[in-house]
Amino acid sequence: MSLLKKSSAPLAILLIVLVLGFVQSAFIVKQTEKAIVLQLGKPKAGPLGPGLHFKLPFVQNVIYFDSRLLEYDARPAEILTKDKKNMVVDNYSKWRITDPLQFYRTVTSIPRAQARLDDIIYAELRVALGGYTLIEIISSDRTAIMTEVTLKSNELVSAYGIEINDVRIKRTDLPPENARAIYGRMRAERERMAKQYRSQGSEASARITAQADKERAITLADANLKAEILRGEGDGIATKTYADSFGKAAGFYEFKKSLEAYEKGFKSNTRIILSQDNPFLKYMK
Amino acid sequence: MNWDWDKLSEQRQRNTGSKPPGVDEINSTIKKFRGSGLPGGKYIIIGIVVLWFLSGIYIVEPDEVGVVTRFGKYVSTTNPGPHYHLPVPIESVMKPQVTRIRRVEVGFRSFGSSRSFTQGQSRNVPEESLMLTGDENIVDVQFIVQYQIKDPVEYLFKVTNQNKTLQDAAEAAMREVIGKTKIELALTTGKLQIQTETRALLQKIVDSYELGVNVLAVQLQNVHPPAEVVDAFKDVASAREDKSRYINEAEAYRNDILPKARGQAAVILNKAEAYKETKVRVAEGEAKRFMAVYREYSKAKDITVKRLYLETMENILSDPDVTKVILSESASKRALPFLSLDGGSFPQNAINSKKGVK
Repeated sequence: MSLLKKSSAPLAILLIVLVLGFVQSAFIVKQTEKAIVLQLGKPKAGPLGPGLHFKLPFVQNVIYFDSRLLEYDARPAEILTKDKKNMVVDNYSKWRITDPLQFYRTVTSIPRAQARLDDIIYAELRVALGGYTLIEIISSDRTAIMTEVTLKSNELVSAYGIEINDVRIKRTDLPPENARAIYGRMRAERERMAKQYRSQGSEASARITAQADKERAITLADANLKAEILRGEGDGIATKTYADSFGKAAGFYEFKKSLEAYEKGFKSNTRIILSQDNPFLKYMK
Repeated sequence: MNWDWDKLSEQRQRNTGSKPPGVDEINSTIKKFRGSGLPGGKYIIIGIVVLWFLSGIYIVEPDEVGVVTRFGKYVSTTNPGPHYHLPVPIESVMKPQVTRIRRVEVGFRSFGSSRSFTQGQSRNVPEESLMLTGDENIVDVQFIVQYQIKDPVEYLFKVTNQNKTLQDAAEAAMREVIGKTKIELALTTGKLQIQTETRALLQKIVDSYELGVNVLAVQLQNVHPPAEVVDAFKDVASAREDKSRYINEAEAYRNDILPKARGQAAVILNKAEAYKETKVRVAEGEAKRFMAVYREYSKAKDITVKRLYLETMENILSDPDVTKVILSESASKRALPFLSLDGGSFPQNAINSKKGVK
């Protein structure tokens, strides 16, 4: 104890120096980072992966870079398609720092890198989209365009130690006036469809109604035809019956029928003028 | 340990006389460090060290995994249960919830409970939800994406802004799929296919980013025409209704008039049948009656003729409404006698039955 106490001051100094040295020379790189070591501003040790590393104290310093996939969300930009239509394209790109040393030498920081990316990707996108019509961009060739832009931009950004993983068109919108035109067309299409449905309805309705009327007419006409036939049959049979029976006694029939006719015919409001030599009056003489 | 600091320095000042204050301080620090300042200091230090080592115990909940990093570098993944890692500056642990189903909303933001989607509790985000279709129409699409962490190591270390990355990729994927779909299909029967295709495409995109998530589902919440044209679309729906209504009305008319016509036809036929049968029977009756009379007549022709004739005359002349005029032979021999038709004046020798002459 006493010995320790005597040498306590230099020991303490040594301890402090040791701690300071350790703090100054050991450094941790996280799983999400890469690091480079600079000696008096010059790159010394190339990209270091995650874990515990050591450097010379005081003369070397460490710069950390994000090794994750980074996002760059560009501002929406208006471009002109092959068929001279305006279009607002909102894209984002996914990129990462592949060569931290190169990155540090050329653009140094992420915001500056993003400014570069913005210029390059926007230019490439403009060129690429200019080669397609609006409908191709929207529906058929989207993937191809994105792949093309990714490849072309990569050629240009590799100098900065950057790799672009993906350029993706997030939104393809139309400027307000084009959108209005589309709404107008959509409305017109719908109105046409509505008209078509209604007139189809009217057509079908007219068909059914007319068909029904026709069927009714035919039904009634058929009934009337059958009725006339029946009546005719009745009349025919009656005539035959009369002829068969009355024909046997034509004279008597004539006489009897005449009497019946007189009786029926000389009803009220009839003036009958009888001559005195009428056989009916022969007893009045 | 501050309470005896002043006392300690005073004592030391007295003991050592004049020393530079820095040395003094160091001295005391060392003393303090070795616990010489206080009885039991050693135990405190040991206690602190033990506690420091104990701080490495951690528990992984059932819905989590533990991701252990040593000096920032990933070393291992641990399963639910109690574990130990070396204390903090050396090793540390992150515990992402891997079973939790996370969700991203596109085209709308719901507030209140995120469990249920209701129209009342959400706000539209038109700049996200309006999309161009494959036939150059615009459609309003709102959907959610449900995902889970598939690979916690990738999820934690590979990509920045995990949630925004997923949101952006989801929007891009949905727009790509809608861009290949015709509006009619998107609004009606194509929804399932849109969901399936978008899910597959989104999974492909996030896998290429090594995001370490599993896209469980893409669910369309709402697909409708943009507000500017929604009335026109509704009118089409009502036009469809009108069409079927017209047809139904016509069918109803048909179903109304045809049975009636058949009824009428039955009436006509029955009437005709009735006429025929009546006619036949009347004829038969008359014939039979006639023949009956004729049979009797042929037995006594003369008298029957006379009788029938007289009966008939009697019947005719007994009618009080019938005016009878009897002309004498001499009157009828002359020129045509004038007979006033209104019965006003008669020739002199005309006998008017109304004057009671019989």
